[in-house]
Amino acid sequence: MDTFSLLLSGFGVALQPANLLWALFGSALGTAIGILPGIGPALTIALLLPVTISLAPTSAFIMFAGVLYGAMYGGSTTSILINTPGEAGSMMTALEGNKMARAGRGAAALATAAIGSFVAGTIATIVLTFAAPAVAELAFYFRPSDYFALTVLAFTSVAVVMGASRVRGFISLFIGLALGLVGIDAMSGQPRLTFGVEELLNGIELTVVLVSLFAVGEILYVSSRYRGTSESTLPIKGQIWMTKEDWKRSWKPWLRGTLIGFPMGALPGSGSEIPTMLSYTLERKLARHKEFGRGAIEGVAGPEAANNAAAAGILIPLLTLGLPTSATAAVLLAAFQNYGLQPGPFLFTSNPELVWGLIASLYVGNVMLLVLNLPLVGIWVKLLAIPRPQLYAGILVFATIGIWGVSGSVIDLVCMVIVGLMGYVMRVYDFPIAPVLIGLILGPMAEVQLRTALAAGQGNPVVLVSTPLSATLLCIAVLVFFVPILIKRLRANA
Amino acid sequence: MPSEELSREGEAARARETSSARPWWLGAAVIALGLVCLYGGYQLPQGARHAGIGPGLFVTAVGAALVILGLLLTVQIARGETFEAQDAEDASGSEKADPAAFVTALAAACVPALTIETLGLPLTAMLSFALVARSFGSRRIGLDLVSGAVLGTLAWLLFSRLGLQLGDFLPVAGI
Repeated sequence: MDTFSLLLSGFGVALQPANLLWALFGSALGTAIGILPGIGPALTIALLLPVTISLAPTSAFIMFAGVLYGAMYGGSTTSILINTPGEAGSMMTALEGNKMARAGRGAAALATAAIGSFVAGTIATIVLTFAAPAVAELAFYFRPSDYFALTVLAFTSVAVVMGASRVRGFISLFIGLALGLVGIDAMSGQPRLTFGVEELLNGIELTVVLVSLFAVGEILYVSSRYRGTSESTLPIKGQIWMTKEDWKRSWKPWLRGTLIGFPMGALPGSGSEIPTMLSYTLERKLARHKEFGRGAIEGVAGPEAANNAAAAGILIPLLTLGLPTSATAAVLLAAFQNYGLQPGPFLFTSNPELVWGLIASLYVGNVMLLVLNLPLVGIWVKLLAIPRPQLYAGILVFATIGIWGVSGSVIDLVCMVIVGLMGYVMRVYDFPIAPVLIGLILGPMAEVQLRTALAAGQGNPVVLVSTPLSATLLCIAVLVFFVPILIKRLRANA
Repeated sequence: MPSEELSREGEAARARETSSARPWWLGAAVIALGLVCLYGGYQLPQGARHAGIGPGLFVTAVGAALVILGLLLTVQIARGETFEAQDAEDASGSEKADPAAFVTALAAACVPALTIETLGLPLTAMLSFALVARSFGSRRIGLDLVSGAVLGTLAWLLFSRLGLQLGDFLPVAGI
């Protein structure tokens, strides 16, 4: 079957009434958590995981996709109206968006953000539709050494790009790798790093680590440095919507943002911060209006498009190679594993209903989110009226349920405290958090591929660079590691 | 690993006073974590019969890497590396830490591990909810206790029905 008919059958799945409801639920929840502080898409999906066990995987992933996209839409609203980005990817939006709102153009800023998100999300989904099967086709030819090289590249880029310093990025990564080693070794059946604790034989769950780092770590950190909520929400009642001029100034940044965001999202380590930052810088450079810094609409349109396109971009390596490139992608990978599914080229042949239902639901979700966000933005903003003490208290209760409900193990709750403290320390000393999660979930895969490759090569390490692809990928990994140092040196000399 | 990380716990508490000074303990903690991995890897076979590598090698490699990274971090700290706390949505990194609030929030995080098996989810939720709210400066303790209990009970009813194993309502009373 060609891509088009597969997509059509995907729509057949996504448009079933039950799945439409799940998409709506996911989109609404995603918008809500995008607006609320302290809780993002990765944490939300991790907390939803235990509840979805009884749900068909297709419905669960349709809901998760709604959360992922919805958070990107919701994040922009708080950036514009109260100058506190709800998500990391909305930081750039706050720069110009909040200025626009202060100048009484909040409605236009919200509109260009929502429509830009829709345009970018839809274009990115179209590209995803046609690119994903092609990449999956290529991935069929991947040997274990290729996979190993790919994971090494992912590790290096995540650690180098995400951290304030490379040392701290790699420490985060290796802590994740160490946590991933705990439990019974899949290939030899021997327990590793369990030190006699029976509950650790099954390993440390990604969700436990993720919930502890993101919920408990955040609560400890914010409570100790809470500055109160002083910034008030700017009103948008009765403002003028986008004018003809606004449309004219917005459509190019939307397209440029998509062009930057999508490939960046597919690359490991860039997350949604870097593409939005790049898009903002580009728009600022291109702008002929001397309005930047005082509320230029291009500075909202570009980054907002970029972050939605990046959200679609992370799905390409995730679905086709099983390679997570961000914290949210790591938890989606854990969700696949919970269902006993392994994303990768075989997922396209073994579960076409799931893959294409998911992709089709992205189109549907984008339309829903546009409707949910444009006319109803006033209702969503009311969520911010929840007082912070009770909001964070509620997040801890749900974190407890998320951890206790899966395993019923007190050891996991003890882990919650320890890893939560680690999350606190990481925030205070500026260690990146995503590399821990990527190391934790990708480490065991990297090890299996390494050991399979070496066993096939009779233990000769040359097998690791024996295919052109593995050699190339490892070379790129080395470059990713060294180029930033070289650039620094050159700059220092100049 | 748990005993190791428990010692980090104490160090984390100490760090709050010294975060402006040189956080030597941070390098030490990473090295210690690496040593734990090295010790764990040492007990496992490094090679395997089929010419590949055994279950221990990866553990040893990760341990060695952590030790080296810990040393590098220590060198950086000696050279005066600065650590800027991250900005969060409701918190500014430049703000001074409030130890009382931190300890209250930490107590809230410890509550579930201590009470969930005897008091059950609803009462555990009540306690940790009130503690977190307190750490954020809420003064209506009675109301917070009630909200926590209501949230915990509703969540227990809903999620038990959805198939989560959340234990008994009040295990100590056998309900």
